[in-house]
Amino acid sequence: MITQRAANIAFNILVIVAAVFFALEAETFQTSGLLASTGLPSKFFPQLMLAFIGLCSIIVIGAYLFRGYAGTDKGASVFEDGGAARRGLLVLVVAVACYLVWSLWSFIPMLILIGPACALAMGVRSPWMYVSLLVMSGIVYLVFTQLLNVQLT
Amino acid sequence: MFAGFDVVAQSIGQLAEPITLALLVGGIVLGLIIGVLPGLGPPIAIALALPFTFHLEPIAAIILLLGIYSAAIYGGSISAIAVGIPGTGAAIATVQDGNKMFKAGKGGEALGLSLTGSIIGGLFSVICLAFIAPILATVAIKFGPREFLAISVFGLVVVVRVAGESLSKGLLVGALGIFLTTWGLDELNGTERYTFGSYHLYEGIPLVPFLVGVFAVSEVLIGAERALQKLDFDQTSLTVKLPGWGKLMKMKDILFRSSALGTVIGIIPGEGAAVAAFFAYSEAKRRSKTPEKFGTGHEEGIVAPETANNATVGGALVPTLTLGVPGSPAAAVLLGAFLIHGLAPGPKLFAERPDMMYAIFIGLFVINILMMVIGLMAIRFAAKLIQVPTTFIVPTVLLLSFVGIFSVSHSFFNVGVLLGAGILGYVVRKLGYSIAPLSIGFVLGPILENSLRQSLVIADGSIGEFFNTPIGLGIYAALALTIFGGPLAGWAKQKMFPRAEDA
Repeated sequence: MITQRAANIAFNILVIVAAVFFALEAETFQTSGLLASTGLPSKFFPQLMLAFIGLCSIIVIGAYLFRGYAGTDKGASVFEDGGAARRGLLVLVVAVACYLVWSLWSFIPMLILIGPACALAMGVRSPWMYVSLLVMSGIVYLVFTQLLNVQLT
Repeated sequence: MFAGFDVVAQSIGQLAEPITLALLVGGIVLGLIIGVLPGLGPPIAIALALPFTFHLEPIAAIILLLGIYSAAIYGGSISAIAVGIPGTGAAIATVQDGNKMFKAGKGGEALGLSLTGSIIGGLFSVICLAFIAPILATVAIKFGPREFLAISVFGLVVVVRVAGESLSKGLLVGALGIFLTTWGLDELNGTERYTFGSYHLYEGIPLVPFLVGVFAVSEVLIGAERALQKLDFDQTSLTVKLPGWGKLMKMKDILFRSSALGTVIGIIPGEGAAVAAFFAYSEAKRRSKTPEKFGTGHEEGIVAPETANNATVGGALVPTLTLGVPGSPAAAVLLGAFLIHGLAPGPKLFAERPDMMYAIFIGLFVINILMMVIGLMAIRFAAKLIQVPTTFIVPTVLLLSFVGIFSVSHSFFNVGVLLGAGILGYVVRKLGYSIAPLSIGFVLGPILENSLRQSLVIADGSIGEFFNTPIGLGIYAALALTIFGGPLAGWAKQKMFPRAEDA
C-alpha cells in the first residue's frame, strides 16, 4: 500500500508546482482605470498566501524526508487495505461519471445510474440493496420535483 | 441593546406559526437521525438540509437548521454509547465511559445522562448567547479593518492549532482555503483574478457548494471505503432512564463547569464541540476524587463531555452572529445559510433584523426543551438507524448533495464545484490533513484579505499605526495567551511544585 510518507511528498510537490503556477498567473492581473493606483495591488494577497502555502509544503516535505512522518502518521499507509482503496476510488469515479452523465445527457439517466453504480463500486451483492437504492432515487426525485418544485433536467 | 418587548412578541409570533413549529420539530428529528449515523456530523447535516431551506422564510429556515445543529451534536452520543462508534467528532470523548456502561447493561442510564447533560449544556449556552451577543454586537459595530483582521487571525490560528497533529499541515490547508477565496473579481477594485475567462468565476468559488463538497462528498468517499463493515449491538438496553433530582444535584458542579467550558470554547472562533468535550472530560477527571473510575463506565465521564459539546452551539453562534466569524465548522455552513437568505451576519444584523435575533435565541431555547421530549421518544428508534448499511447511506448522501446544490442555484458549475471540493477534501483527509482549517479559512478569507489590505492603507507604512487599536491588541494578547498560556502555566507549575508534577 502507498505510504503516508510517499503520498505526502508527492502531494506537496504538486502543491508547490501549483503555487508557482498561480503566483505567475497573478502577475497577469490587470486593474484598469483610476482604481489601479489605489491601495495594494490585487496580486498582493494571493501571492502572499501562495508563498505561505509553498513554505508550509517545504516544511512538510522536510518533515517526511528527514524524520519520516508529520504528526502521528509514522509508518502509516493512506488506505487501510486494497479493498478499501478500491471502494473509495471507484465511488469517486462513479461520482465523476454521474456528473458527466447529468451534464452531457440529462438528470434521469444519472438518477437511475447513481445508486446501483455506487453499490457495484462498493462490492454489494444483495439484489435488495440495488432495489432499495432505485426506490430511494425515485423518492428523492419526487420530493424535489413535486414537493419543492425543482426542475431537474 | 434590548430591542423592546414588541420585537420579542413579534419573534414569538413568527416562531409560533405552524410551519415554523413543524420545521423546528422536523429539524430535531432530522438532526438526531443524521447525528446517529457514524461519520455524518452537524456540518453535513446542515449542508444536506440547506437546499430545502431555499424556499422558506429566513426565520423558518434558520430555525430548521438550528434544530438540526443542536440535535446532530446530541445524536452523535447515541452511537457512541450503543456501539462505541461516535456519530460525530463531538461524541468521541463519550465513547469510553458510555460504551462501557452500555456493555454493563446500563445503556438506559447512559443514554439518559447524555440526554440530560446535552439539554442542560444547550440551555446554559442559549442564555449566555442571549446576554453576550447583543453586548458584543454593540462593541463590534465600532470595529474597523484592524479589529476584524485581528479576529480573523485569531480564529484561523486557533483552528489550525487544535485541528490536527501537525501544525505545518494545518497551516497549509488553512492558507489553501484562504487562497481559494481570492478567485473571482477583486472586491476592492474589480480586477479579474483566476477567472480563466469563465463568467461563472466572477463571483469566486461559491461558498455553499464548496462547504457541502468538503464535508459531505469527502465523507461519502471515506464512508465508501469501510462500506462493508457491519455494526451490531444489544438493543435491549435502549430504554432511556433519566437521572433523578438527587443525582443531578450531586453532579451540579460538573454540569455547571462543563456548560461554562463548552460555551466559552464555542465562542472562540474555530474551536469546536470535540475540543470542548475533551476539555470538559479531562477537567472533570482532574477534579474528581475518583479519577481512576473514568474510562471504566463512570457516569461523570458521560455527563461532562455531553454537557460541554451541546453548550458549544450557543457559544459558537456568538461570533457567528455578531462578527460574521464562524465559531465552528458547523457554524461556517450555517453562515452560508444566512447568506443564501440575503442576510449578512455581523453587528449590523442586530440593528437591521432584531426580530431574527430574538427568534434565534427563543427558538434555540425551545429546541433544547423539545429535544428532551423527542429524545425520550425517539432514542430507541434512532439507535436502530446505526444499522442502516453504509452502502445505502453513501449513494443517498451523494445524490442529495448533487440535487440539493443544483436546486439552490440551477447551475452545473456549482455541482462541479461541489464535486471538485469533495475530491479536494477527500485527498487532504486521506493524507492526514484536517478539513476544519480548510473550511474556516474559506469562510474567513474575504474578511482577512479586505481587512488586511484596508489596514495596510490606514497604517500607511507605519507598524505602530497598524497595531494602534486597543481592541485589536486585546485580541492579539488573547491569541498569545491561547498559544503560550498552557505551556507557560505548565512550566510555572513545574517550577513551583516539582515533586507534585513528578508524581
